[in-house]
Order: sequence, then C-alpha cells, then structure tokens
Amino acid sequence: MQPEARTETQSGEQARRRPALAEAAPREPVISVHALTKRYGDVVAVEDLTFSLEAGTVTGFLGPNGAGKTTTLRLLLGLARPTAGEALVFGCRYRELDSPARRVGAVLESNDFHPGRSGRDHLRVLALAAEIPRSRVEELLALVELEAAAGRRVKTYSLGMRQRLGLAGALLGDPELLILDEPANGLDPAGMHWLRGFLRRFAEEGRTVLVSSHVLAEVAQTVDRVVIIDRGRLLTTVPLAELTGRGQTLEEVYLGLTAGEAS
Amino acid sequence: MTAQLRAELLKHRSTFTNLGLLLGMLGLVLLAVLLHALSLPADRLDSASDQVEVFRFGPLLGALFAGLVGALAITGEIRHGTIRPTFLMTPRRGRVVAAKVLASGLVGIVFGLVAVGAAVGVGSAALAARGVPVMLDGSDYTLLPAGGMAAAALWAPIGLGLGALLRNQVATLVAIFLWLFFVENLLLDFVPGAGRFAPGAAAAAITGLDPDRLLAPALGVLLLALYAAVTAAAGTIAALRRDVA
Repeated sequence: MQPEARTETQSGEQARRRPALAEAAPREPVISVHALTKRYGDVVAVEDLTFSLEAGTVTGFLGPNGAGKTTTLRLLLGLARPTAGEALVFGCRYRELDSPARRVGAVLESNDFHPGRSGRDHLRVLALAAEIPRSRVEELLALVELEAAAGRRVKTYSLGMRQRLGLAGALLGDPELLILDEPANGLDPAGMHWLRGFLRRFAEEGRTVLVSSHVLAEVAQTVDRVVIIDRGRLLTTVPLAELTGRGQTLEEVYLGLTAGEAS
Repeated sequence: MTAQLRAELLKHRSTFTNLGLLLGMLGLVLLAVLLHALSLPADRLDSASDQVEVFRFGPLLGALFAGLVGALAITGEIRHGTIRPTFLMTPRRGRVVAAKVLASGLVGIVFGLVAVGAAVGVGSAALAARGVPVMLDGSDYTLLPAGGMAAAALWAPIGLGLGALLRNQVATLVAIFLWLFFVENLLLDFVPGAGRFAPGAAAAAITGLDPDRLLAPALGVLLLALYAAVTAAAGTIAALRRDVA
C-alpha cells in the first residue's frame, strides 16, 4: 500500500507520479461527488456538485466564504445528509466504511477539543473508539511535536498547537485520504512550512489530500489541482500545471471565475 | 461496541467535570440533610415517615446528578465540538449513544451510592447527636443504597436522551433541575395520583422510604426503566437523523 517515497518534489514532475500510483491504488476515484445537493430550508448550500479525486494528489478546494466548501466536506464525512445526489469515499458512503479512521482522516474545525482534557487523553479517546493501539498515540504526539505538552490540558494550547493536535487525531488510523478544512488558519510561517512538507510527503506515498482554503498563495505552493466552487456550484476543476502552462496564475483564474459569477 | 464503551469511560475519567459534579452533589446532600435533621423540631422527626424528610435527599440528589452526568455526556460534546471527531471515528451513531448510555449509567451508579451513603451517614449521625432514635430498619439499609444506585443508573440515560434531543447544554441542565425540584413537587402536592408516576417520584419510590405517597419499589424501578428506555430511544433517533453542525 506504500509505494516508494520520492525524495524531491518539483511541480514539473507531477505528471510522472500518476503511472506509478496506478498499481498501488484501484482506479476507482478516492472521492466521488455526484450531483450533490444540500438545502437547509430555502437556502441552497450545495447545488448539483460533481467532481472526483484520484489517489496520490493534493487537491485544493477553493471558493469564497459561504461557497459550500465546509458543507461539502461534512456531506462527504457523513456528518450531514445530502438532500440529493451522493458523496462517496472509496466508493462507499462514509458511514458504511468498515473502519473509517483507517481509511479517512479529517479535521473540520481547529478547536474540537474538551478544554479540560489533555492532548494525550484526547488522542487516546479517539484511539480507543477506533481500536488503534495506544503506542500510535505516542507516535503521533512525536510527529506533531506535542510530546512536551501532551499532559497539559488543551485550554493551555496555542492555536497552532491545537491545529497540530487535530491533525494528529486525523492521522491516528494511518489513513489513505486526508481531508482538511482551512488548516492554514492560525499557523505561523514555520507551521505552514511544516504542514506543506507534510502534505507533499503524504501524497508522494500514493495517498490523497483534499484541503479547503481561501489563502490562494498558500494553495498555489501546495496543491496539484484545484476544485473551485461558488454558491454551491462547481466553477472549475483543473490541474495547477495546466494553469501555469497557460501562463496564468491561480489568483487570476480564481478572481476571474468568482467575479464572473458575482456579476 | 466495547471500543466505544472504553472510549466513553475514558472521556468520563479524563476531565475534572465528574469530580466537580460529585463534590457539588455531596455539598448539596450535606446541606439538605443537615438542615432537616438539625432544624426540624424533635416531635416532627420521631416516626419513620417523618425521617423520610431527612434521608430522601440522598437518592433524590443522586438521581439528579446522574441525570446531569448523562446530559453532559452528550451536550458537552456538542458544545465543545468533540462530537465531530467522535462521529468520524464511529459514524454508526447508534453505537456511540448506546456506549454513552452504559458509561454514564455506570458513573451514575457511583453517584447514587455516594449520595445515599452520605445522606444515611450524616443524617443518622445528626439525629443521634440530638438524641433522636434513627428509625431506619434492616430493609432500609438494603433498599436505600440499592434503590439509590438503581435510580441514579436509570436517570443517567434520561439526562442523556434529553440532552440529545435539546442539544443545548444549559437548557438541558436547567430543564432537569426544574423538573425534579419544581414541577414534580407541584405535581405531588396538587395531583398526587398522577405525580407519583412522574420519573423523579418513581426514582424515589425505588428506595421504599415513602410507601404511603409513592409507588411500590418494584413498580418504581420498572416505571423508571421505561422512562429511561423511551428517553434514550428518542435521543438515539434524534442523534441518527440530525446533521452535525
């Protein structure tokens, strides 16, 4: 399940990554969203949205505030039910996965912790529920560099520490797919640099990342392709290399699409 | 479901919330029991039914605080957002709620035992200090702790189910408090025929302290189990159907 890790990343090499990964992962898309619609009363949060993600890619999920990004992620993760259409991970609804934590890791909010529980106990609770060995908790505390703070209550953590603890929780089951909602919020430059390197390595192992963001400069440095939505509808899905090949920047394309939509 | 149960038990153990609740409960038990045992005139404390006024606060407060434990087990997760990682780890939400029912019921048993133990110990000591003979008999010493534990174990799922329905932490805690200390008192005073079938009165009945006004202990435990099952089932359905924000 773990193809050879590559040492160096350059955007020009991205096209070459795919064939090697085809052996590791089935051709079935990791995420497939089809005609997905979610309405809350009269408000349409997501409307007839269709896109899919292949293994081994980092995809940026972009759109203005209120575009429906978070709703889409919640529908994918079984936290909310679609009004129509379907949102599948590994060809199943999330609720039907046998051991979801071992397939999919997700961080939706940066502060989903009990303030009075220690970071270590937070992870142990999740590990118990997912039947993940306790040693894995210590591994992840080391990976996100929270060993020293692990015994402290989360209320004493900085926002960056909470982001890392959330990520550790998502990675407990060593998942193949990682879904992050606005992970850049609250990260300092060093934290951002660390996260970017982490996501690249994760994808190079043939795994898949879907990361929502509205920090375009950050996205442009991290992702292989972008899915841009606005008002619940798909505007475009395109490999980043294709944009740069046409001499466009992500910002130009994004602003052109979202402005066109608004007028 | 064992995995979820172990996770829920660790949630109970890994914060100071339950310890705070336990201390709060003990404080209220001592206050209520001592006030009644020391300030009621001696001629209103000489029969077994008079002394109900002293000892009944043990099982009552045990059941109340077990209800709060159950309510916090779900509303605390909603309030702090941990419900999201919880449901991501276990998307089959029925398992989560069932594990919460069991775990908070177990914690409730501890609360019930502590409350009854404190009420009987402190109440008996206070009465003895005033020279009033304690009218509890051998069966009371069995029924009180057993009934207190059963009442608390069954009130935990009631609080949990109510919390899953209301979702708001403060609203749920206030509702439980008002129901047990206000609404049920009014019911028992003004419509005792109906009031004794209410869930707080059913919990009190299990201890057998007040057989004149309340149901028989066996009937009380059955009725309370029915309340617990219905509330927990309603809470489960709500948790299954509703979107998580």
